Amino acid sequence: MRMLQIEHLTKSFEKTKAVDDISFEVKVGEILGFLGPNGAGKTTTISMIAGLLKPDSGKILIDSLDLDRDLRKVKRLMGVVPQDMAFYEELTAKENLLFWGKLQGVRKKDLDERVEYYLKKTGLLGRENEALKKYSGGMKRRINLIIGLIHQPKLLLLDEPTIGIDIQTKLNIYEIIKEASANGTTILYTTHNLQEAEELCDRIAIMDLGKILALGTFNELIQIVGEKDIVIITGKFSIDQARSIISGFEQAALLSLEEGKIVLSLEASKNISILLEEFFKKEITIDDVSIKQPNLESVFLKLTGKELRE
Amino acid sequence: MKNLFHLVRKDFVRKWENPVVILGFLLIPFVFTLIFGFVFGAEGEDTLPRVKILTVDKDKSFISELVLRALTQGDLNELIEMEQVEEEEGYRLLDRGNASALLIVPKNFGQSVWDGEQTELLLVKNPSEQFLPQIAEEVLDTLTLILSSLRHIFTDELNTIREFDELDKFPDEAISTLSIKVKNRIEAVSKYVFPPIISLKQKTLSEEKGEGSDLSIYSYILPAIAMMFLLFICNTVFEDILREKETGTLTRIRISPASMTEYIWSKIVTSALIGIICTAALIILGNIFFSISWGNPGDVALLVLCLNILIAGFIAFLYAFIRTERQAGALLTTVILLMSMLGGSMIPVENFPPVIVNFSKLTLNYWGITAFKILMRGESLAAIFPILICMVLAGIVFSVIGSFFLNNNLKKGIAQ
Repeated sequence: MRMLQIEHLTKSFEKTKAVDDISFEVKVGEILGFLGPNGAGKTTTISMIAGLLKPDSGKILIDSLDLDRDLRKVKRLMGVVPQDMAFYEELTAKENLLFWGKLQGVRKKDLDERVEYYLKKTGLLGRENEALKKYSGGMKRRINLIIGLIHQPKLLLLDEPTIGIDIQTKLNIYEIIKEASANGTTILYTTHNLQEAEELCDRIAIMDLGKILALGTFNELIQIVGEKDIVIITGKFSIDQARSIISGFEQAALLSLEEGKIVLSLEASKNISILLEEFFKKEITIDDVSIKQPNLESVFLKLTGKELRE
Repeated sequence: MKNLFHLVRKDFVRKWENPVVILGFLLIPFVFTLIFGFVFGAEGEDTLPRVKILTVDKDKSFISELVLRALTQGDLNELIEMEQVEEEEGYRLLDRGNASALLIVPKNFGQSVWDGEQTELLLVKNPSEQFLPQIAEEVLDTLTLILSSLRHIFTDELNTIREFDELDKFPDEAISTLSIKVKNRIEAVSKYVFPPIISLKQKTLSEEKGEGSDLSIYSYILPAIAMMFLLFICNTVFEDILREKETGTLTRIRISPASMTEYIWSKIVTSALIGIICTAALIILGNIFFSISWGNPGDVALLVLCLNILIAGFIAFLYAFIRTERQAGALLTTVILLMSMLGGSMIPVENFPPVIVNFSKLTLNYWGITAFKILMRGESLAAIFPILICMVLAGIVFSVIGSFFLNNNLKKGIAQ
């Protein structure tokens, strides 16, 4: 069953196409990771789904409701956790949670129960009557997340909810997100942390230049770079030198290239020595060679790397 | 409506948790009033400070002493404080602003008076003072006129006194003869002077009389300064819009079921309510500490309500043109200070030329202060009813226009 359905969504700012005819669906309870470099169009897409921006064309359906026509109803289904600490620092944790809950129309009895539940879950029970300005960064992040969840939304938009926090808080936040997903909340998770996306998301969408370049499960995305290893070579070579070596080496696929650093997709066990020989033949000094298993990073590099884009 | 209530409540709790700014704005009018009261005297015109006149007597004659003593006789003693100094010292003190005027009696002044020749007293006025030197001039003008008249009427008698003075002898017999002569002269003159066939009856227009006589200086200052700071207090509520935009809470509210219209009206309502509480606090403080009689409590309450509807609406209207905190700082401060200057919060409107008063009438301060003064003079609600109606109507119109444009600006602003 689909919770979020995006059809041919387009949005331009003056001459720049921020979102260029994208379509995708997210199922109930699914966590969809949204990856992409800065300026890829993620925030514009999220803003349109949140009802903050009007698309130029296309359709957004949330729980089969058209966002354009049923904005007020849809708002009740949606929760948002922005990257900013969007709450009132001079109010206590409890006052904040009660305010946001009431604004979302949660009944008092349910609200009191949920406030207590989430405060307990995040380890903040006992400090609920302290003003948030006295909280640490990690504690504030937890409150920021709870505010988005307090009304138990059907669709939760998360924008980098774990930025700049310690591992303990991060794990606590992962746990709450997974629990919400298990309870049927559909989550759209924007992040720059590829490892986080790998760990949390059921499916991942990679976006750049306003388009979705790839969308699938982790294993499906890995197929894009194949079974090959990721080889990173650093040394004293120019872009042209490296390009001329690689162009004659059919077994390797270039993922990214910059002065003194090249990232390749290659079956390392068979071909690495041959490749390095090519470098040595041209009397190029190699400083370091590292070989990694294919991961989301390599997929991301392959899809959005500068060399490939140009 | 529920959302409006939650939003207003939230803003109230926030202000309650962090009241420093509002308390500051609330205390300033109170402290200003206290200081002005100390400086100018609490009772207003009744306790005008004494006019300090420095005197230099270069003549040191019987007549010069008579003139100088006349300045501190009877009622004049309450008005004038006199101090004899040397000429150089007198100029120095006047330069320092230690006196309102310097009166110099020239050499041979007495001789000239005896001889019936024309002579002059020199009055040097302190240029840094406006009213007090004027009073000194008026008093001396009158005194010199009286002395000149007496010189003409009692020429013979004065000549007799002069002879005694020159001989430095005042025989009893001669004094009694002189007294009878003076008495006869007065009786002869009285036929022409008393009873006067024309008398001057004084009448002042009731409004002017009320303003001048009934109100203490505190009653002028507190409402005037309070008006200015009420504008700043209401501004603190609207400033939050820009801060909420920056911190992301506004985006969160926008995504919630609460509408932007509810959000903006919550600011207008909060602003008006906080304004009402602050005005009430100032009224109570004014009554307790400065014994200001504000008028009928019910009428005053109605005025406070209408006034704050107007102020909240006006500030909302201004925010329709503001997008950043920087713009808010520049525009709001300029508008509030300009309105306060023109509207009588800094200088009483009565001191403005009529052309400027026309502009004063375009300010909120003018109408607020005027309405308060009317009630302070004990007039009924009917006297300010048209003002109240205009305040409410203008407040609603400002709020609606402000809400409309602010709504559009915020939608655009958040999207950007």
